[in-house]
Amino acid sequence: MTTLNQFLNVILFMALPYVVAVTFLLVSIYRYRTQPFTYSSLSSQFLENKSHFWALVPFHYGIILVLAGHFLAFFIPRGVLAWNSVPLRLYALEITGLALGVMTIVGLIAGLVRRFTTPQLRMVTSPLDWTLYGLLVTQVLTGIGVAVMYPWGSSWFAATMTPYLWSIVKFSPDTSYVAGLPWLVKAHILNAYVLLWVWPFTRLAHVLVVPNPYLWRRTQVVRWNSVTETKAR
Amino acid sequence: MRRIILSVTVALVAGIAGNVTAQDTATYFKQNCVSCHTIGGGRLTGPDLKGVTQRKDRDWLQAFILNPQSKITAGDPYALKLVEEARGVVMPPAPGISAERAGLLLDLIEAESALEVSQFRGVQVSSAPFTPVDVERGLALFRGTQPLKNGGPACISCHSAAGVGGLGGGKLAPDLMRVYERLQGRAGLSAWLAAPGTVTMRAVYEKHPLDEKEIHSLVAFFEKQSMAGTQRVAASQLNFLLCGLGGAVLGLVLLDTIWRGRLRGVRRSLTQEQSSRGKS
Repeated sequence: MTTLNQFLNVILFMALPYVVAVTFLLVSIYRYRTQPFTYSSLSSQFLENKSHFWALVPFHYGIILVLAGHFLAFFIPRGVLAWNSVPLRLYALEITGLALGVMTIVGLIAGLVRRFTTPQLRMVTSPLDWTLYGLLVTQVLTGIGVAVMYPWGSSWFAATMTPYLWSIVKFSPDTSYVAGLPWLVKAHILNAYVLLWVWPFTRLAHVLVVPNPYLWRRTQVVRWNSVTETKAR
Repeated sequence: MRRIILSVTVALVAGIAGNVTAQDTATYFKQNCVSCHTIGGGRLTGPDLKGVTQRKDRDWLQAFILNPQSKITAGDPYALKLVEEARGVVMPPAPGISAERAGLLLDLIEAESALEVSQFRGVQVSSAPFTPVDVERGLALFRGTQPLKNGGPACISCHSAAGVGGLGGGKLAPDLMRVYERLQGRAGLSAWLAAPGTVTMRAVYEKHPLDEKEIHSLVAFFEKQSMAGTQRVAASQLNFLLCGLGGAVLGLVLLDTIWRGRLRGVRRSLTQEQSSRGKS
């Protein structure tokens, strides 16, 4: 059993991240160069906008901020541990993280319901999109599960996950940091690898080409310019 | 591509196996055994290993080191006696153990037993009573308000104990309210803190070890916990979940307020018009 566990640790936490990283890089570049016009997440707003808001907004703000938290702990673990050195600040950070996680799942479920119940939307949803929804729901649910069952993740992420991930980045993988973690935490990590692996094949590619200048560019006025519109005026 | 992946995996597996074999036996003993055993320093959670090869034959000891649980399951009387003496604590399987490694460990124990003072006699712990300042400092170290000198994370990150804060401590690792009794007092607990025996703690504190003063204060805190006999607070996890759900509701209300002027009807009328055209 121990040998099997060691073998699985090597395959899943040592080899898999590299397979994922290579796939991610190569396919992202290949798709961008060969099929640039598919490099997006098609908007479905025109097909239905009643529940669109509750799917789109909570999901995106939730996931962006939760991911930002993960990145902060990855890049400045000492800073996160210093912030958490006062229990009240630790609790505030953890409650905020959990609240954002719940907002993310609310958005995801609203999105799923919307896609299931609107015929026009079901038509434009590919099997790959459904797979992606499944992976995202798994990722967010395991994340919320980890936050509630195994607090305080912001601190132990900085102490265990950060050195593990850096060991991967520095090409000297050390799985001892993750080998003893509970299965739910391992499931969250592995599902993240799977998500990164399918990333360049799916609509998630849009994250790599977010039009950031939209945040600060001047607003553009868009006018209808058809004959009927002109007559109507 | 498959061949490349396969060869990378084989190389990685071989790399790990090679590392384990090359590791120095004394370092291995220090990293994996001293949290429960001494050589000539008295009993901790496990027995003092001085002269163990004279008490029991090498073949038995080697088999026990390789798989402690199988001897116990088989009902071996000596193994059962060891478990009873350790108050039910079963020796965990040592990471990366092999027959060769077990033999090397027994050689090391034999050689160290022959010395008057072994390097593995364990942490020397004073029996003087702890002061309230020690206990207070231990609590501060546990909660993280006083950072650990070598940069290790505070205990609260993964562990809980009584009286550490509103929403309690972490739940990734065991509750430490009874750890003082579980590790059989000062000596056992100090040895554990000096070289933690679990995979995750070993990985985390290997590069950020606790210093002697910190161990002293933490042991004082855990001794106090054990004597106070306080009860575990189970409500903290539920409170945390409720706070998170409340926060999410607030967040959703906030988003609704920020985008209160959002387009609600324009496209709907366009799509309805479009679908009715399609029908007719």
